[in-house]
Amino acid sequence: MLRYLAQRLGQAAVIVAIVAAITFALIHLAPGDPFSAVMDNPNVSETVRQTLRAQYGLDRPLPEQFVRYVNLLAHGQLGWSFSNDRPVLEVLGSALPNTLLLMGVALVGSFALGILIALIQVARRGSVIDHTLSGISLFFFSMPDFWLAILTLLAFTYWLPVFPVGGTVDVMHEYMGLWGRFVDRLYHLALPALTLMLLASAVVARYQRAALLDVLPADYIRTARLKGLTEREILRRHALRNALLPIISLVGLSFPALLTGAFFVEKIFAWQGMGYAVMSAIGTRDYPLVVGGVIIGSIMVTLGSLLSDLLYAWADPRLRSH
Amino acid sequence: MTAPLLSIRDLHTSFYTESGVARAVDGVSFDIGAGETLGIVGESGCGKSVTALSILRLIQPPGRIETGSVIEFEGKNLVTLGDSEIRDIRGNRISMIFQEPMSALNPVFMVGDQVAEVARVHAGMGRRDAWERAVEMLELTGMPDAEARARQYPHQLSGGMRQRVLIAMALMMKPALVIADEPTTALDVTIQAQILDLLLDLQKKIGTSILMITHDLGVIAETASRVIVMYAGEVVEQAEVDELFAKPHHPYTEGLMHSMPHIGHDQERLNVIPGTVPAPTEWPTGCRFRERCPYSWDLCEREHPPLYQIGSGHISRCHLAIEPERRNNPHPPLVVEAGVAAA
Amino acid sequence: MPGQIQDSAATRAARPRESPFALGVRRILRRPSSRVAFFVLGVIVLVGLLAPLVAPYNPSAQPDIVRLKDLPPSFAHPFGTDPYSRDVLSRVIYGARLSLMIGVLATIVSLTVGVAYGAVSGYAGGFLDAVMMRVLDAFLSIPRLLLLIGALVAWPRLSIGALVVFLGLTGWFGLSRIVRGQVLALKHAEFVTAAHALGASRRRILWRHLLPNLVSPIVVASTLGVAHVIVLEAGLSYLGIGVPPPLASWGNIIYDGADQPAALWWMSLFPGLFMVLTVMTLNILGEALRDAYERR
Repeated sequence: MLRYLAQRLGQAAVIVAIVAAITFALIHLAPGDPFSAVMDNPNVSETVRQTLRAQYGLDRPLPEQFVRYVNLLAHGQLGWSFSNDRPVLEVLGSALPNTLLLMGVALVGSFALGILIALIQVARRGSVIDHTLSGISLFFFSMPDFWLAILTLLAFTYWLPVFPVGGTVDVMHEYMGLWGRFVDRLYHLALPALTLMLLASAVVARYQRAALLDVLPADYIRTARLKGLTEREILRRHALRNALLPIISLVGLSFPALLTGAFFVEKIFAWQGMGYAVMSAIGTRDYPLVVGGVIIGSIMVTLGSLLSDLLYAWADPRLRSH
Repeated sequence: MTAPLLSIRDLHTSFYTESGVARAVDGVSFDIGAGETLGIVGESGCGKSVTALSILRLIQPPGRIETGSVIEFEGKNLVTLGDSEIRDIRGNRISMIFQEPMSALNPVFMVGDQVAEVARVHAGMGRRDAWERAVEMLELTGMPDAEARARQYPHQLSGGMRQRVLIAMALMMKPALVIADEPTTALDVTIQAQILDLLLDLQKKIGTSILMITHDLGVIAETASRVIVMYAGEVVEQAEVDELFAKPHHPYTEGLMHSMPHIGHDQERLNVIPGTVPAPTEWPTGCRFRERCPYSWDLCEREHPPLYQIGSGHISRCHLAIEPERRNNPHPPLVVEAGVAAA
Repeated sequence: MPGQIQDSAATRAARPRESPFALGVRRILRRPSSRVAFFVLGVIVLVGLLAPLVAPYNPSAQPDIVRLKDLPPSFAHPFGTDPYSRDVLSRVIYGARLSLMIGVLATIVSLTVGVAYGAVSGYAGGFLDAVMMRVLDAFLSIPRLLLLIGALVAWPRLSIGALVVFLGLTGWFGLSRIVRGQVLALKHAEFVTAAHALGASRRRILWRHLLPNLVSPIVVASTLGVAHVIVLEAGLSYLGIGVPPPLASWGNIIYDGADQPAALWWMSLFPGLFMVLTVMTLNILGEALRDAYERR
């Protein structure tokens, strides 16, 4: 198991290095000087420009620039966000926890909801409920994430003003007590998390339903029936445990979509996460911040996939006993 | 005569498929006594497995046990029993062992837990007690180092050991009847003998009846006291085992016996019964074995033979019972002639 | 003809008549849900193709920017008007045309690159294959939208053609893996060795054996791929880096109304509904195709 982990970490490092190369290529293939936005910006101080010139070796040949680039990345230097007048790493780093919170809640919630829906569908397979739920899953699955976010925003903050219009915390947040602050956070988290969750559960439900139906004809299910278990017990105890295995892989696979969804949701609900920062950077053409977002996003996806594989190796007894 | 443990009367199980209605079990009746081992022998497609599954109501749509079928057990008709009542019986009063030990166990649970589950479901035992009972049962099946093995997963056990696990599972609640459907077919020959001995041994210890379903006459000879031969969804012969081997009456049984190679006999070619089993969606009229039979005559085409009494405890579904002299004039079976014409 | 081996009746009967493509289409049309999806998609495509004939107004016309702007749905304007007094229904109709076109073209680009990349990688094998696969993994680890944002922010004011190319260049990863898998499987297949021994050239093997096996994953991937691109393009247009104004695409329309989402609700609702409908039908058809091919 440990050797597998080391192997995967090595692969991950290679992938991140290639991603660095891709972003480097993007920066330099694009029209114009990659740093002109910073260099020509009158608001940026001279010291910053000097530092950048030195660090990135802007007058040096391309290969050397690449080596410096990778070196800087390895040390956590992601560039300067001129629209925020702070290092990119600082901007993204301080916003990351909010994104992780949003994604984490949505991930857990969507898997719980998705598995529940799949169980209901399979317990009553072929019935009206099964078909209806399939249709609803398909509907949400086909929806663009930003559109659902806009609709939920309209529905629950304008027309039925239940939730706050946006933001992570209330203006008065600092002045609330501990409990008040907790509730306030929850209050602001609810709608963005719910939106993200709805989209993801549709995917989970469809995969889990298929996985359960794959497992049901197995011989060991027949053995369980022979022991006198009820259909419900068979489904929940014997079938589910086996059908959960492919779903674990889904955790890793759904990271890119979850991240993208989170970006849109953050923008629309003004949730102060990494996505919000990057989306704002598009408008201001703050390129270093955008690239920083790409790199961190890719690291998150790679780590997510790694975690997912490790979880799978742990969960399947056939792989564990090596 | 004491009342039989299980009494099947006029069982009809059919499958309603797109290509027609397949009458897999078409009017089967027999009894199993307490403590006895009854063997059902026949080739694939004759309906023996479907009969077994029907006893425990494991037939799923598009299959159906037709109304009018009666399976009497402990004073109840299993066919009309409610769902929760039949579940009470499964694994408890009647249990079953299948042919594929490889896939019959859930790969993600420890084998000990899977055996213990039977006790938790039927005897309401707690985890600890059920586990101990499971380990005891595994020891009884001759599994070496049972406590340690119980903590292992199915993929860590050999085929023979997995079958022992399934046997332990089947016998946990000391059922009155164990149905064994080809329990040794998927195992190595050396293991086969061990498993059969184990079954007989446990039968003596616990006193269950065994319904042994197989296509292998050798297994029948070793384990059964009484035998039923099935063909095309029907019982075609029934007799005590010695009588059946010494004096088979039905031509199909004869054919089966002759096709068994004998050690010590020099044979250039294996004897086979020419032709194949007809499709269950279109059972032929008259005798269903007619086209493959070396003795058939016009009566066999006109009239579907009933079960004739041949001797004490020996019945046979063959018109030879009333015209035994026909046995002296064998002819090439009709199916062979038809085959020659087409080539 | 002397010397030529004739096909017996049995052989002729056994050979499949239809191309795999036709077979797939015929099979999926058996399911009622696929028939409905096919019909609905057909209507949308037709509306897009015949946009100039179907749309009530010119989608770029700004007739009266004072009195006709921001009007909610009415008889004259069933989908309302936008801040520039343009008719939203007409823009949605033209948007169908543009979004579908972008979807199809981008998918064609993806297919070409994906098949080429996968075939080369699988056929080459060894070190080159390993490197190409690692690069593929790296691309796969960047969420597609992020990659596109990264590229499009660097290239401001892109033409539609360039947008299509960018969209296409980010959507070939999954397919290339499948193609590579097929090529690998084929490389070691016995009948390939046999064909080689009989003197068949590499190109012939590729043509007659590889391509038929690829038809089904390509058809499925394209159908689902078009759906993805439509959603992606809408998202990019919503962010302002997609289809440039004044052209109408579904995402564009939502972008125009994004400043006042509640007041101009019709600008968010209708384009989105059409998007969901189109994507749903594409998903239904794509999955039906996948099931149909898997069943053989």
